[in-house]
Amino acid sequence: MSPRLTLPALFATAVLLSACASQKAPATADVAVSQAAVENAAQAGAAELAPAELTSAREKFARANQALKDRDYKLASELATQAQAEAKLAQSKATSAKATSAADAVQDNIRVLREELDRANSVNK
Amino acid sequence: MKKTFTQKTVTPLLLSLVLAVTACSSTPVTTSTLDQARTDYTAAQNGSVAQYAPNEFKAATEALNAANTAAANRDDLAKIDQLANLAKTKIATAQEVARTKQAESSLANSKDEQERIRLQARTAEAEAARRNAEQAQRDAEAAKARAEQATAATRDAQAQTSALAAQLAELKAKQTERGMVVTLGDVLFNTDQAVLTSGGMSTVQKLANILRENPDRTVLVEGFTDSTGSTAHNLELSQRRAEAVRAALAQAGIERNRVETRGYGEAYPVAGNNTAGDRQLNRRVEIVLSEAGKPIQARR
Repeated sequence: MSPRLTLPALFATAVLLSACASQKAPATADVAVSQAAVENAAQAGAAELAPAELTSAREKFARANQALKDRDYKLASELATQAQAEAKLAQSKATSAKATSAADAVQDNIRVLREELDRANSVNK
Repeated sequence: MKKTFTQKTVTPLLLSLVLAVTACSSTPVTTSTLDQARTDYTAAQNGSVAQYAPNEFKAATEALNAANTAAANRDDLAKIDQLANLAKTKIATAQEVARTKQAESSLANSKDEQERIRLQARTAEAEAARRNAEQAQRDAEAAKARAEQATAATRDAQAQTSALAAQLAELKAKQTERGMVVTLGDVLFNTDQAVLTSGGMSTVQKLANILRENPDRTVLVEGFTDSTGSTAHNLELSQRRAEAVRAALAQAGIERNRVETRGYGEAYPVAGNNTAGDRQLNRRVEIVLSEAGKPIQARR
């Protein structure tokens, strides 16, 4: 290697290395965020109310973790982003199922109350 | 020749190449996943997702824009699919969040309505209880009034009965199996005549009062004589004396149909006919007062 080429080559290597290093921290953060999202979804009851979405999110998270270990930070970041989005979907689906069934229960209760009231009124008249 | 060939073949070749390149650049790259994401997004837009879940809808919009940009930049299909999938997930999340908000707002309204209905039910119950109480009060008052009426009626009946008893006692009435009997003695008639003396009139007047106060009673007036004189005369005299009593009662306002008369002459003596005193006892008029609402039994 001629001295004329040594300096640029070293420079290029440094740039590459620093690029790799700079990708490691955000990928780690992304995976951590996706893990938190999966845990939140599980706590919201997604295992029961959005099982497909939660399973997919967990699987993506596991793959992101693996990619992190394999130092494929780009893939880790992508998978973590997908895992986080799917975990959020699982959580919001579980929450909306609970809210909807609560609203339906009160509606049912109202219907029963109305019937009782109508019956009581017709008896008293 | 060569030049001609080149001109003839290269021009269409170039032209088709140019066309192909233009076609590629003008036809946007897309994938079925991206198409699906766009359809989902339009559906979310048409629903009220932006209103109920503004943050999630914004994130979904950005994700779809990223996928669209990748498609416009003709990135590789895997990359486009990946971004489109992310957009789909975020659109679905926005839909779910909007659904939650709608359910929550419906729940809040329902709870208000539930309270209103409960209040109505309680009001209706209270109203029914009040009506029942009022009805019970009215029933109790009616029962009390009826009891009072009955008591008053009993009191009136008792008062009437005791008044009657007093009046009859004054007339020296005797209780017999045919009813109370008032005897008008001979002294209440002028001798051998069917004209009442003032004493007789006074007794008949008292009898008229009794009949007025007891409209459901009637009287039977029976005339008797002693055995002196002819039977025919005695029958006629006894009948006339009974009639005289009826006339006096009629004068005092008692309807004639409430007064029956009989003349028995010398029959049914109450004493012998040997002494003047006994004969005087036989010359008499007996007035039988019926029980309330009942006829008087005939003399046997």
